Amino acid sequence: MSDLAIPTLQAKVKSERSALGSLRMVQTASILVIALLIVSPLFMLLIASLKDDRFQILADMGSFRAFWVSSPTLSNFAEIGNLSGELAFGRYLVNSLVILALTVGAGLIVNSMAGFVLAWGSLRGRALILSLVIALYVIPQESIIMPLVIMVSRAGMTDTFAVQIVPWVASPLYIFLFYQFFAQLPKELFEAAEIDGASVFRIYRSIFLPLSLPALATVSILMGIESWNQYLWPILVTQTDYARPIAVAIATFFGQDSIYWDRAMAASVLMMIPILALYLAFQRWFVSSFVGSAVKG
Amino acid sequence: MTLQQTAPPAVLARPVSRRDKGRLFQEIGMLAPAVILLTIFLVVPFLLSFWTAMTNQPLVPRPTPIRFVGFNNFLRIFRDELFWTSLWNVSRFTFWILPVQCGLAFATALLLHQKLPFRNLFRGLFFLPAITSMVVVCVIWGTLFQYPTGPFNQVIGFLSGGRIQPIDWLGDPNWAMFSIVLLSAWQAYGFQMIVYLAGLQGIPDELYDAARIDGANAFQRFWHVTMPGLRPTHVFVLVITTIQAFKLYTQVAILTQGGPKSSTETVVHYMVRSGFEEQKLGYASAVSVILFLIVLVIALLQRQLLRRFDV
Repeated sequence: MSDLAIPTLQAKVKSERSALGSLRMVQTASILVIALLIVSPLFMLLIASLKDDRFQILADMGSFRAFWVSSPTLSNFAEIGNLSGELAFGRYLVNSLVILALTVGAGLIVNSMAGFVLAWGSLRGRALILSLVIALYVIPQESIIMPLVIMVSRAGMTDTFAVQIVPWVASPLYIFLFYQFFAQLPKELFEAAEIDGASVFRIYRSIFLPLSLPALATVSILMGIESWNQYLWPILVTQTDYARPIAVAIATFFGQDSIYWDRAMAASVLMMIPILALYLAFQRWFVSSFVGSAVKG
Repeated sequence: MTLQQTAPPAVLARPVSRRDKGRLFQEIGMLAPAVILLTIFLVVPFLLSFWTAMTNQPLVPRPTPIRFVGFNNFLRIFRDELFWTSLWNVSRFTFWILPVQCGLAFATALLLHQKLPFRNLFRGLFFLPAITSMVVVCVIWGTLFQYPTGPFNQVIGFLSGGRIQPIDWLGDPNWAMFSIVLLSAWQAYGFQMIVYLAGLQGIPDELYDAARIDGANAFQRFWHVTMPGLRPTHVFVLVITTIQAFKLYTQVAILTQGGPKSSTETVVHYMVRSGFEEQKLGYASAVSVILFLIVLVIALLQRQLLRRFDV
């Protein structure tokens, strides 16, 4: 390269750098605007839940006072947190937590075992079962809900915890996610353990399951969100407060003539906390395995 | 999820020994819970829905026996104007939600794929609405939509200097469905964003380096490397969003109950209403069969598209 070329090259690099700098600024500004759009409604919810006066909450909505509370109080939370009152949100919250824990717990075991056998088993019908499971994925929950309601009410399962857990434990999607995760692990893992005389269940339990933390995290988060946010199914199969989840309880606010926004806001904040905790706990693995397995396309 | 079948690991062909028999029993035992649960709670109700759809089954058992009515329920559905309204409404909803939600998700993913400061924090923040229950989202947006003095109307009034009259977001038939679109896009777009981020990370850096060496500018790199690389992701996101859109229910049930003037009536809301308010389970099952067929057609379309793109 001749000496003459060097200054122009430097100038070019310089101008590209400053273009890059202004691009970066536009990008950062855009991200901040999107962040404002996404986060401010949630922030507003949090602030409103700390206000005692439900008329004041609505009056504040139209101004910047929606983002500010001068004398925060936890009285809304105290009111709905009591376990036996008229608005016994404590009870609903516990109900939802029980349903969430049992659904996800059973779901992890059942779906991972099935995924493992489909990936590494020696069953003859394996490929057929796998394609059937994949085909079942097309059926939406909404389109089986009518006959399912008849089935569970004939079986006397209305108003139980079981009816909100058992039907949603096994899922084609999660079986497939586990299958895909296990299938990509090296063959040598299985073969070495087999030569050592380990049984299939043992290989699953002691070798493959501990390696599948990303898949377990992903399925936990997806199942957790799904179970926690169920609305249509519980309104169809619960009639009393006995096993009713918090989503249904909050929704009853909307039927009333004047909505108790203060309590609705507090209950909503309470409803966000457990699922947020679950998400934060598993987020690291969730993103990496969602990236890896879910969208191979 | 796309559920593309990856090749199963090779099955080791060996003569059946006693140990292999034990292994077989174990495998059946590990597979059984899933298979049994799926059969009882997915396959059976699914097949039942076709049967129920052809009967006059009521919600509460009656002394009169249940009659087989063939395709009568379907014929009645097709003659019901409200059904066509609900189908038209979810189509309108889909038409709006695809550009709003997927566009926002795509744009955000492109931004977060850059090496911006705090991008992991932003990624977490943007996913927050996606883990928020739709009921809670309705509490929040129910207040944002307040008429006439809610936050949205205040902002619009302020920006327009009072020239634009307050909008009755949920009470005006011309606006109600669009309001549901805004709320739904806000709630669910985090998932699409993560899917897009995954797609972007799947494009090898070498392709960008090669394009740069060939002298491609930023726009050319986007158009000739990023977009082709994201083709399967686009198909996936658009199909999933469309299927979700056709299942629209919770936000409508809570905020508008299908109104005003049936402007937010949806297929699932129509189904639940006929089944549980009008107590016609056979009729509602027929609606659910139609919903399934719609979803099936969209899913098959996705397969065809993916095949065409050779992935």
